[in-house]
Amino acid sequence: MPPARTARRAITDENAETGTQRLTRAKAAALETSAADPPKKALTTKRSTTAPSNGTLGARKRTALGDVSNVVKKDPSENADGKKSGLEKPTLVKAAKPAGITKQPARNSSTRTALGAKTSNNASSELKRPASGSGIAGNVPKKRNVSTSKPTKMELEDDEDSENAPPAVNGSKVPTKIARKASVKSATTGRAQLKPEEDNEYPSLEEVILDAKDLDEEDMDDPLMVAEYVHEIFDYMKQLEITTMPNADYMENQDELEWKMRGILVDWLLEVHTRFRLLPETLFLAVNIIDRFLSSKVVQLDRLQLVGVTAMFIASKYEEVLSPHVQNFVHVADDGFSESEILSAERFVLAALDYDLSYPNPMNFLRRISKADNYDIQTRTLGKYLLEIGCLDHRFLQYPPSHVAAAAMYLARLSLNRGEWDATLSKYAGYTEHEIQPVFKLMVDYLHAPVQHDAFFRKYASKKFLKASIVLRQWAKKWAPKYLDNVQEQPSSGKTPRS
Amino acid sequence: MDKRHPNSFQQLEKLGEGTYATVFKGRNGQTGAFVALKEIHLDSEEGTPSTAIREISLMKELKHTNIVSLYDVIHTENKLMLVFEYMDKDLKKYMDSYQSPTNPSAPRGALDPDVIKSFMYQLLLGTAFCHENRVLHRDLKPQNLLTNTSGQLKLADFGLARAFGIPVNTFSNEVVTLWYRAPDVLLGSRTYNTSIDIWSAGCIMAEMYTGRPLFPGTTNEDQLLKIFRLMGTPSERSWPGITSFPEYKTTWPVYATQELRAILPQVDALGIQLLNSMLQVRPEMRCSAQQALAHPWFADVYPQARKGEALGGQGGGFKGM
Repeated sequence: MPPARTARRAITDENAETGTQRLTRAKAAALETSAADPPKKALTTKRSTTAPSNGTLGARKRTALGDVSNVVKKDPSENADGKKSGLEKPTLVKAAKPAGITKQPARNSSTRTALGAKTSNNASSELKRPASGSGIAGNVPKKRNVSTSKPTKMELEDDEDSENAPPAVNGSKVPTKIARKASVKSATTGRAQLKPEEDNEYPSLEEVILDAKDLDEEDMDDPLMVAEYVHEIFDYMKQLEITTMPNADYMENQDELEWKMRGILVDWLLEVHTRFRLLPETLFLAVNIIDRFLSSKVVQLDRLQLVGVTAMFIASKYEEVLSPHVQNFVHVADDGFSESEILSAERFVLAALDYDLSYPNPMNFLRRISKADNYDIQTRTLGKYLLEIGCLDHRFLQYPPSHVAAAAMYLARLSLNRGEWDATLSKYAGYTEHEIQPVFKLMVDYLHAPVQHDAFFRKYASKKFLKASIVLRQWAKKWAPKYLDNVQEQPSSGKTPRS
Repeated sequence: MDKRHPNSFQQLEKLGEGTYATVFKGRNGQTGAFVALKEIHLDSEEGTPSTAIREISLMKELKHTNIVSLYDVIHTENKLMLVFEYMDKDLKKYMDSYQSPTNPSAPRGALDPDVIKSFMYQLLLGTAFCHENRVLHRDLKPQNLLTNTSGQLKLADFGLARAFGIPVNTFSNEVVTLWYRAPDVLLGSRTYNTSIDIWSAGCIMAEMYTGRPLFPGTTNEDQLLKIFRLMGTPSERSWPGITSFPEYKTTWPVYATQELRAILPQVDALGIQLLNSMLQVRPEMRCSAQQALAHPWFADVYPQARKGEALGGQGGGFKGM
């Protein structure tokens, strides 16, 4: 299929040109070791003032969650750790219990991220780092390497899949299930400022794309581009991205959790994801699973990591050709949970999501836009980094993945002086320059603010990723004032500045 | 779904058994309607099988007349049961028990041309719907196509199915039952696309005419050779890039391309033309399901099949479960 080569190559080579094709195990190990080093601050939880005898609330919640009691087997050690005994059956989703409940308080080695419980001032329960060293690297199936004897083309594609094609976003806006009111409340403080005025000064997408080129013809010879169905498929994904959006304000309904903890969890999962050499799709799906789950269930702080690990476990099963065994997930969480806890959590999470894993991966949208950008490797690499910001920063939950992808490519092109956002780019992104602005500004704001997600920042500081995190940070330092005039108050407004 | 106890379905006779699941006929305790109960063996080691996770998630998305409906999921600690729309028999059993009343000289298992056309149309409608919704079935074969007495045909068993992105990712090449497996997959390709389902559909079409599988290979290699014997051994000239496939062999015997119509004299000229476009060894040359549906061969397909309706008017009432 020679005619297809050019486009294909452009897509698949992006990582090749940016250095190492794939992480060697040694490199991965090195990376992880260093990644695990900087200790993270303990998180004190938002309700640290909660009186231990919060009986009413606790009881009410518990009843509501009664049907989930079969999810997690009772762990005798939990009671020993000072759990309130009123809770007959420990569940994955435990109701707001009096503060001070941590699972295995002993576990606070200094190098680990600590997700402290509400009352604890210091790390009493924590997010376990991926266990360092050989254990994991040795156990995890090296799925990306199995295809040694494939045609060249596939080799390239394989590399695109492998871990150097970074994961990323997850957007959202439609408030789901619980807490519609909450969304309205916090939206007015945050979102409204970002939203440009509803006016007719700006041309609509329909008007803009009248001059757009049709670039799909050239894909007719490339089977991997599935050109005969590309329009139907993207139309369908645009529907799915709305139906699979979490409630952007679900934290309002969580008793023990805060956005910051979600950020830490995702930052940690990013490391796990790198360690396991999983597909970019897997990380995005895992984060979507977490957010949709937390939109419908109240989760206790000491179960948050279990939710994260389980989401990654489920996402791997859905996306990967070979997914890591459950024991790898146990290990990576530093044995904080047993296999059976993860397996029952799996059932519970699947049921809570109604088995709907149809979330359309943001990478699809990014690659679609990249088509109108000649598959420029530099912009797409920066774009991937920006897309992942959408995963880490909860403020992007209100936007669908396609919107975040559009902003990512827009910002990437802007920072590289790649010219205007023309009709063709608008068409393949599905958003005009004007429509992109609010998401774009959020991204600039993230880049401009102090680094919050260390593992994430370091990952993208590598040459392989064109030092995307560093480059964009420098760019933001210089240009943020120009773009951020009306987003200034954002970080400090509301109770939860940013993840 | 979660609240319903497994016992609200009365389990009747076993319909089939696979490595991954056992299927029973069942009856809804409340409505009395028949259902198919697919009981998935749970591996205590790894929890919910990935095949089940994908099957459930995808089948919840794919609501179409020519795709079997998933009504319910019952998930307990040691049991995962999927409750499906009940269909009378799969196409394999249907063929096995069929003797043409109009043409007693036809071999057992060979279906009548009108029925074949209707079934093919419905098979392609269901397949096109999957593909438009970015799903590859990856295991189309007569056993996985279910029929009912109203003449409807529906795709079932999405255990190997998966959603794909654009560009399509690298997938496992251990997909599709050998006889229906496309040559590119047999050659070791892991970057196949929707065209692998079209190859299977072509094999099924031929099988409905003869009552016998078109390429009943015994091993991967044998399967390829059976295909080459009919379609001709490909070369770098006829298929640029073939030499770089993992399973490419320089030792293959060189077969000339046969005329399909010589092998399948019972198929009319238009039918042969359609079959030819589905059974292209090169994936990029295969027609899409959408294109196949637009083929003139289908100009006189039963109007009911065109609309995906039940033939004969009655009996389509499975929706009210």
